[in-house]
Amino acid sequence: MKRRKFLSLGAVAAAATVIPAGLSATDFRATAPKAWDAPTSKEAIESMFGSVAMVDGQIEIKAPKLAENGGAVPIGIKSKLDLEVIALFQDANPRSAVVVFELGEGGVVDLQTKIKMRKTANVTIVAKGRDGKLYSAVQKVEVSIGGCGG
Amino acid sequence: MSMKIKAKIKKDVTEVKLLLSSPMVGKEEAELKKVEVSYITHVTAKVGTKVVWEASTGPFLSKDPYFMFNFKGAKVGDEIVIETIDNKGETESDKVVIK
Repeated sequence: MKRRKFLSLGAVAAAATVIPAGLSATDFRATAPKAWDAPTSKEAIESMFGSVAMVDGQIEIKAPKLAENGGAVPIGIKSKLDLEVIALFQDANPRSAVVVFELGEGGVVDLQTKIKMRKTANVTIVAKGRDGKLYSAVQKVEVSIGGCGG
Repeated sequence: MSMKIKAKIKKDVTEVKLLLSSPMVGKEEAELKKVEVSYITHVTAKVGTKVVWEASTGPFLSKDPYFMFNFKGAKVGDEIVIETIDNKGETESDKVVIK
């Protein structure tokens, strides 16, 4: 179920006229703007997904036990589930939401990215399956040197 | 500004590695460092007209964001197109042939 939301927020209004990619895609910054300003994962997740029950333990977070560079902490996400939306949150920065991935049909849940973490904190994944259910996973990541700024 | 894309098929799964170019500076970091807020807000990957992967992104991704993702349904020789847009509305696009 994809909703085409045209951007109406001031900061991104200019973008709406020049974004061919946006027309076929869901922009989670536009559909859930509050979630991106929430300081904690709990608040960010609630404003993006609502406060609903989630299934735990079917998503694997691959992260270093001790991240030496908080400016680029590698995070891997793997699952055998058929997921369409996968959101990454953390509690190591002023705001929690980092990235929301969307997989097309045929998507394989094997993702990697690098995030900033300026202190040791939990990384939380919340994902929506094509079965309509929400799944989550949490992992604590220790950071020895903080990320630059943020 | 530029990006690096690698796309390779192993069995029936296409693995894409993507390195974007952006300082990924949010409002807190901008104030601290007296620099401009500048970060990519959305990335889309398409094969033909089909969106195979996309990401709504924020400034807590690392500088010059890195992504790896996998999908089924493409074949060797198909073209994968990556499009990005940043907080100022500036877009960038690049493509690579899947090997």
